[in-house]
Amino acid sequence: MGLIKKVPVYSEKIPGGGIICTSLEQVLHFGQAKSLWYLLFGTACCAIELMCTGASRYDFDRLGMMFRATPRQSDLIIAAGTITKKMAPRLRKLYDQMAEPRYVIAMGGCTIKGGPFYYDCYSVEKGIDHIVPVDIYIPGCPPRPESLLEGCLKLQDKIQKQKLSDWQEK
Amino acid sequence: MTRDELKTYLDSNYSDKIRPLDTGRYDLIYEINAENLFSFAKAIAEDENLKFDYICNIGGSDTGENLEAVYSVASVSKKLRLDFKVILPYENPEIESVQKVWKGANWHEREMWELFGINIKNHNDLKCFLLPEDWNQGHPMRKDWDAPDFVRFPEL
Repeated sequence: MGLIKKVPVYSEKIPGGGIICTSLEQVLHFGQAKSLWYLLFGTACCAIELMCTGASRYDFDRLGMMFRATPRQSDLIIAAGTITKKMAPRLRKLYDQMAEPRYVIAMGGCTIKGGPFYYDCYSVEKGIDHIVPVDIYIPGCPPRPESLLEGCLKLQDKIQKQKLSDWQEK
Repeated sequence: MTRDELKTYLDSNYSDKIRPLDTGRYDLIYEINAENLFSFAKAIAEDENLKFDYICNIGGSDTGENLEAVYSVASVSKKLRLDFKVILPYENPEIESVQKVWKGANWHEREMWELFGINIKNHNDLKCFLLPEDWNQGHPMRKDWDAPDFVRFPEL
């Protein structure tokens, strides 16, 4: 009955049976938040930090985050690294291939506003938020694994606070 | 053949096509006219004493006064290196492709074409190489280049 302790507020144990009462919303979003599978999408040096976060010291797996090599099995894109103008349509294509509900984390300065390539650069997209909708921004160049973990926890909070009615509007 | 011997050899055999530029102790560099480029390239590749069989790089540059196409070639068997450059005007810069001499020139020439706007004659596959396929904003490596979302570093 570890689940009861984790599913907050509305769940209630009915004495005498292995039954709990809760709302669909709670259970669905709990499940979603705790198994975010992310797309392997590292385009520059942020991907090194992403790999480090996935490896044993920081251990992404304990948040239920597993990497997938195809967008069709993923819930989340962690855009780790510089997105060039040539890469932008590809990013959009990958995003479009994902099943809803889908989320995007913009990791590092480049994906937020071009980062070090903001000035004097012809090839880098200045922020990915005009290509795909972004849920969480993680600043840093590149961000430390702790920042990435924090960003992912923030995304989990965001998912758990969703309403079922939000789904239609996305 | 040492660097000085190569210089002497080139000066005595190809002096009608090339003019030496002073580079101090680095690789020899020569200036060459655009119309002589292909014949010179073919000649040094086929010359039994030189055998320049490898193209290291073709680079472009915008000096602020004119455009330049800089060729770096090497000879693997004779252990030689040589640079030569073509100085081109801003209006209709055009050079002959050296693909028939060195196949590796293909990608370098495409890159130079898109970034500097130097037109390549007799190139078999002239399309965007590093820039997006539908690029229509000119040649970004030119000094006077500008685009709507291009931000210059502010004066400090």
